[in-house]
Amino acid sequence: MNETKQCAIVGGGLAGLVGYATLRHRGFTPAEIDVFGTDADPAGQWRMRAAAIRQRRMRSESDGHCAPRSFPGLAVRASLRQKRPVPVVQSWLGRYHPTVVEFLEHAEEVRAESGWDESFRQRRVRRIAAVDGGFELDALGRFRHVLVATGHPGLAFPPELEGDPRAVHAYEPHEYAERVEIVGAGMAAATEWLNALNSGSDVISVRRREPERRPLNLPRHLFTRRGLAAFHATQRDERQALLRGWSVPSYPAGRPWDEPVERARRARRFRVAAELNGADQVICATGFKRGYAHDPLLAALVAEHGLATAGNWIVLNPDSTVGSLTNGERTLAIAGVAGQWAFPAADTLMGAKYAARGFARKVGACRSR
Amino acid sequence: MSFTLRGRIESRLAAALAPLLAAGGLAAAVTEWWPLALAGTMIGVGLAFEVVLDRSLDYQPGWWSLPLAGAELAAIMGVVYALGISAPLFVALAFFAGSWLLAQILMHGVFPYLRLSYGEDGGELGRAGVLVAVLVLAALALFGGVALAMQPPTVRLSTGIHDGPLVLDRAQNLVGEPGAVVRGGIVVTADNVTVRNITVVGGENGIEVDGAHNVTLHDVRISGAKLDGIHVRRSSVSIRDCLVHSPAGDYAQGIDISFGFDLAPSRVEDCTVLGGREGIVTHFAHVRVEDNRVSGTSLRALTLTEMSMVVVEGNDVRDSLGVGIFCGDYSECEIDDNSVRGIRPDHASGDTTRAGVGILAHYGAKAVLGNNEVSDSPGGTRAVLGAQISDDE
Repeated sequence: MNETKQCAIVGGGLAGLVGYATLRHRGFTPAEIDVFGTDADPAGQWRMRAAAIRQRRMRSESDGHCAPRSFPGLAVRASLRQKRPVPVVQSWLGRYHPTVVEFLEHAEEVRAESGWDESFRQRRVRRIAAVDGGFELDALGRFRHVLVATGHPGLAFPPELEGDPRAVHAYEPHEYAERVEIVGAGMAAATEWLNALNSGSDVISVRRREPERRPLNLPRHLFTRRGLAAFHATQRDERQALLRGWSVPSYPAGRPWDEPVERARRARRFRVAAELNGADQVICATGFKRGYAHDPLLAALVAEHGLATAGNWIVLNPDSTVGSLTNGERTLAIAGVAGQWAFPAADTLMGAKYAARGFARKVGACRSR
Repeated sequence: MSFTLRGRIESRLAAALAPLLAAGGLAAAVTEWWPLALAGTMIGVGLAFEVVLDRSLDYQPGWWSLPLAGAELAAIMGVVYALGISAPLFVALAFFAGSWLLAQILMHGVFPYLRLSYGEDGGELGRAGVLVAVLVLAALALFGGVALAMQPPTVRLSTGIHDGPLVLDRAQNLVGEPGAVVRGGIVVTADNVTVRNITVVGGENGIEVDGAHNVTLHDVRISGAKLDGIHVRRSSVSIRDCLVHSPAGDYAQGIDISFGFDLAPSRVEDCTVLGGREGIVTHFAHVRVEDNRVSGTSLRALTLTEMSMVVVEGNDVRDSLGVGIFCGDYSECEIDDNSVRGIRPDHASGDTTRAGVGILAHYGAKAVLGNNEVSDSPGGTRAVLGAQISDDE
């Protein structure tokens, strides 16, 4: 118990896997890293949600993967595997989106190659306490460096549908009734419109605002150094406003999305409404709860250590570390959706990599190592 | 991919390192500066493009690299032309294509593989990037400085008439002011000599080049020579935009390049030759004869003979006596896209091979023809004495 271990990753999902693979790439051994999570399969949660909305292709592109190095991306890997250049050419043209099956196989490869299972401990961490030279995680041990990657803090339901037996969340297993109301207007909602139409349902899209049409979750410049530099230069209020603005629902433009909906609209099988109107089934494609306060671990961390916050967000350094709990001897960084203060697209694989690299850089430079 | 300006410059310079070294090697191999001048131009234009793109693009989709490469190539060619860098077109294009491909592989594969946060850092390469950038710029400065220091001096020939013959026995650029005339000829015996914008009147030969390499005759006008307008022996020359006319002797020729088969190829382009026994002649030489205008000759317009290897392309041959284009004595001639008109029969000679032949292959020579236009020449196209003519298709 007195021994201080090197690194802990709190959260056993994809962001945790990316963080783990990045640390391994920087030379940490499995014995130097403990990963705490509830499911040994890092893609388990994601797989379940993707299956629930019948997702077949990723919204992300070739570089949306879990490996520590950017290259080779998924397009190059697919080309090598298929022995044909089509995926690389598609990627070059900006039209490559890996299939969900390809992505999951890739995640499985990274899991196996990185030695994830050697470091994984099936435990839920409930409290992180800063101590001299590190952090205590419950009674699980003391660690110099901790990467928190706890993921989304639960599914979001519209308050009026809490407890309504007709309601099911898009990310929960479900079939489609004859007449379906789908609440929301983001990627999950758009996917569900097509799913429901394909299964023969009449669809009512219930939404209060029109979705934006863009290829990625956020505008591309936010994935670039220059865009991030501008973002990091913003003041607290402005940054909150930006983050709120970017949280509007969106899905990609293009015929595969528009044509089926337009056909159904002409056949009077699809319409848009502002309010619920008594359908047989209500599918809530309303995403996840927003804000650190919904995550008990983060809420406790903020409360106990007086961390700086701004609205729904924990204030982070540009490299995703928590400034007040990081020094030359210890590091606390946040990956995944709770890391948006440093990287607006933190809940993407690119975001996970960004936080993981920042964490790994800090840990690598730490004099305790 | 989205680069920062620093990332663009570092990546570009790092990707230019290998081509620059290759250019250095090539320059050493051919003992000419053009590979380094070409590489320097590519780097300079590339950096200028990066600055412009940085200001105008937030994000650059992968496929844009191709049209941008086309635009960059056009700009490089423009600069190369403007600076008069004498790089062979095919080699220059291959060099650009190879360098571009290497840069793509480096920037989209190798750099991201070697540097974890390459994309995230906007293409910046950290300390290694700065080091490589400094190295490339220092190498460029070094090569440029050496090239500049080794440039031959420029001698200006003032307007007016100068008595010749002028003997150029040291590397130099002899540049005439408008109206500069040399009476009595110019003799070049040193390597790396350029003669530009000068009129030569009289002399045994108008300009004689003897045992010299890398000699350029550009925009010279020659008249009244007794033997050859331009007389080249055991030398490699580039002759452009010349005018040779009004020969003074019965045996005078326009341009004669001979006995340099083992030397670097010579070139005659965009010249006009009027009159004389033969217009452009090669003996045992390796020459490209391109886009010239030859007329009024009394023996043959173009003579390529004595085991010469010659490309004859895009020339306009007309109004000459006997033979238009002659490929003789085991020479190998590639004769494409020429226009041969008005070659008159030489009845007085009694020689049937001079019966107004547009293109004649003679005595074991091999001529490959493509897309030539022979008209108003009763002898047409012929092969005699074991010579062969074939189509290049």
